[in-house]
Amino acid sequence: MKKFNIAIVGLGGQGIITMGTVMKNAALNSDLQDVSGSERRGGAQREGYVETFVKYIFYENAAEMNNPRKSMHSPMIESGGANALISLEPLETLRGIKYLNKDSIVIFNKTPYIPISVRMGKTEYPEISFIVSELQKITKHIYYYDIDAISLEKFNSLTQKNIIALGILFAKADIPIDRFAVESILAEGKGAENNLKAFALGLNL
Amino acid sequence: MAKSNLFVNGSEGDKAIVLGNEAIARGALEAGIGYASMYPGTPASEIIAVLDKNKKHVENLYTEFSLNEHISLHGAIGASWSGIRSLCAMKNVGLNVASEPAQFLAYTGVKAGLVVAIGSDPGAPSSSNEQDDRWYSLHTYMPVMEPSNIQEAKDFTKDAFDVSEEFSFGIVLMAPSRLCHNAGALRFGNIRDRSNIKGDFKKDPENYLNLFSFAVKNHAKYLKRNELLKKYLIESKFNKTVNGGSSKIGFISSGVIYAHLMEAFDILGIYEHKILKLGFSFPISDELIKRFFEGLEKIVIVEEAEGFLEFQIKKIAYETGFKGRIYGKEFFSRTGELTLDEVISGVSAFLEKPPPASFDFAVKKDRELSDKLPQRSGTFCIGCPHRATFYSILKAVGFSNTEEKERDVVIAGDIGCYTLGLLPPYNAMDFLTCMNAGLSIGQAISKFDKSKKVIALVGDSTFYHSGIPVLLNAVQNGADVLYIILDNSWTAMTGHQKTPSTQKDIDGKPSSNVLNLKDLVKSLGVSYVKSLDPNSVKRFSAQIKSALKEPGVKVLIAKRECILQEIRRNKSLLKNGAKITETGESLYEIQKSRCVKCNECFVELACPAIILKKDEDTGGDYYYIDPASCVKCGVCYEICPNSAIRKVEFDLKSELKLDGKSLEITV
Repeated sequence: MKKFNIAIVGLGGQGIITMGTVMKNAALNSDLQDVSGSERRGGAQREGYVETFVKYIFYENAAEMNNPRKSMHSPMIESGGANALISLEPLETLRGIKYLNKDSIVIFNKTPYIPISVRMGKTEYPEISFIVSELQKITKHIYYYDIDAISLEKFNSLTQKNIIALGILFAKADIPIDRFAVESILAEGKGAENNLKAFALGLNL
Repeated sequence: MAKSNLFVNGSEGDKAIVLGNEAIARGALEAGIGYASMYPGTPASEIIAVLDKNKKHVENLYTEFSLNEHISLHGAIGASWSGIRSLCAMKNVGLNVASEPAQFLAYTGVKAGLVVAIGSDPGAPSSSNEQDDRWYSLHTYMPVMEPSNIQEAKDFTKDAFDVSEEFSFGIVLMAPSRLCHNAGALRFGNIRDRSNIKGDFKKDPENYLNLFSFAVKNHAKYLKRNELLKKYLIESKFNKTVNGGSSKIGFISSGVIYAHLMEAFDILGIYEHKILKLGFSFPISDELIKRFFEGLEKIVIVEEAEGFLEFQIKKIAYETGFKGRIYGKEFFSRTGELTLDEVISGVSAFLEKPPPASFDFAVKKDRELSDKLPQRSGTFCIGCPHRATFYSILKAVGFSNTEEKERDVVIAGDIGCYTLGLLPPYNAMDFLTCMNAGLSIGQAISKFDKSKKVIALVGDSTFYHSGIPVLLNAVQNGADVLYIILDNSWTAMTGHQKTPSTQKDIDGKPSSNVLNLKDLVKSLGVSYVKSLDPNSVKRFSAQIKSALKEPGVKVLIAKRECILQEIRRNKSLLKNGAKITETGESLYEIQKSRCVKCNECFVELACPAIILKKDEDTGGDYYYIDPASCVKCGVCYEICPNSAIRKVEFDLKSELKLDGKSLEITV
């Protein structure tokens, strides 16, 4: 049995849940394949922490798939268990740091959303350099972009930033599913044209 | 749900990614339900929402967002007694409200299958407590099923209707938020023929007239049915034993925690212990447990919350003379969500087998960092009328977020989106428990502490849920409270279900039965009642001030539709080619030269569309309204004490207007 775990974190309204749904739907092609992963919605409001897990499971054979010790999967990813972490907000990357191990790929968006506690002057927002140095203590596979700016520039909207991030994921990590599967899902969904462009944009960043 | 609406049309052989809640709904659909209802509540809302959304494509399906859980469960009972399989969903605390019908359901029994799907919320990310509703069954005798994954969520729900009919109990299907909001692969089954779903209420006085000696008889009947169910559960497909090797240690678990446990074993590389998976966590068959105990010396019960399985299994162990030891809550926390991490740590500690190094390292790293990170809490959406309401209240009572001082007005909180007003920067609630506790507790405080004014808050949906008798009570008993009803026309927090206040649907279609809230409040005997737009903050704030000077019960209705719904409707109307009455585009901006960073908009109002930007020239910071997020509610424009925020209007004749005055275009 092989597993591939992706943790996606960020804030409510950034399209985190959609990213998870697209990635899961892209994995329905084989019988010997399973997919699990929960979402932490915690209220739909803006600025709340949201995370979603995408867990791909590939069975060696049917016997393994029917083995009760192998066929039941937690909806969560354990600490140190993510093959990849995508974060759409820099500070939240540090909240997702617990999922990382030395081989994990990290992709994060540099645009900060300032929490209320920082607005009120009660805490300070960490510098990007601090975030990167903390990540570097665990893994060297770190990629970050100002995805908000890229999305605004190309699409005049922030709506595409999650799909751009998915494109980056496929460019930087060895995802065990076909990227064409993702593209065909995007092609059938809402805003197909822009989403396909956004995905291609991410692939080439 | 993908492509050709598999939720409605899927059949055996189809596979799709669905949400746990959708899987439960699909299971009910496959079982042939004709009735589905709930009062919305996270994490359970999508169970009924997905059925409601699809009902036009499903023959003979009635759905209802009831005004509260008490009504909703009674409705399901009525449907069941009419021979219609019925599904009633609710969140964990919903069962408190529905506990009355739940108490009677075992007495009277069901006719057609009845399933109560409960979304529990360990860790309380969306709730005001983390109660474990399984304990109710010790007195309601409702059997409890706990699916572990998406597939079981569907399969168990489908089977629950058969069990319900066979043993004449309403079945509780428990799903924690981790399952409700797990999205994974589901293999569909076939849907039962729906053409013959038709109500036929047959009188059954012996069971349905539950009082006096009938009640006592019914009590005995359900205790007997419970014993029959226990016998059935000795060898049912729902409880499964996974055999181990020669180990004398056995593990018992259920639901999502079982999924955590199996994955924890795999991560730790442990495969030799016997495991019992309980699909039914109530009732538990003595014989089943006795058989599992055979050859074992130590039993470890892995479960969330306060140990419902442990409580029952220890009793069974005593009665069956088990000589070994039973462990549980010593290794697994009673509070908060029991995560995969905690199950790994607990199992690892019990078996003294260390977890992988990467796990330990990550746990340590997280502990080291988490205290240093600024906390993030949810806040109102950009343009939310609640933000304006809280701002107005705080200004009216002379309170500011940027100065340290005590607010002497008591603000009673309640349940809904506006609950977020208790968080910084507003800190505008002094207590919060359950639905309609705000005015109920507040009216009593107004009697016993005359030195403080009391403001009680409530949303429209919460008011209709069970607030009407509270308001009537306050009037009848002469309370001195300002009651602010934040009427945004929707049950917004749970995904925008309609309330009696909803005037227009999202497609612009007017509701046929809109309630006049002001008239309703008047008819309850409140003479001081006014309805205002909270976004006119100065006017609203002045009204709060003057209302607080009046004696008795005063009601202010903060009437403005949820901004998300307004935006959605406008978008959908635009898409359908309708003309919007708007005359032009507008834009709000902060003039750097005028802004003195007084923080009125940035901290006091705290609209997330107002952000801090680095000034490339001076190196300093300035406040900036992000045009990509601003929805042009205009509240910041109204409150800026330095007129630093200006409104730029482009009307259809390309005439540029500044603060309402026309300008020559020089560009």
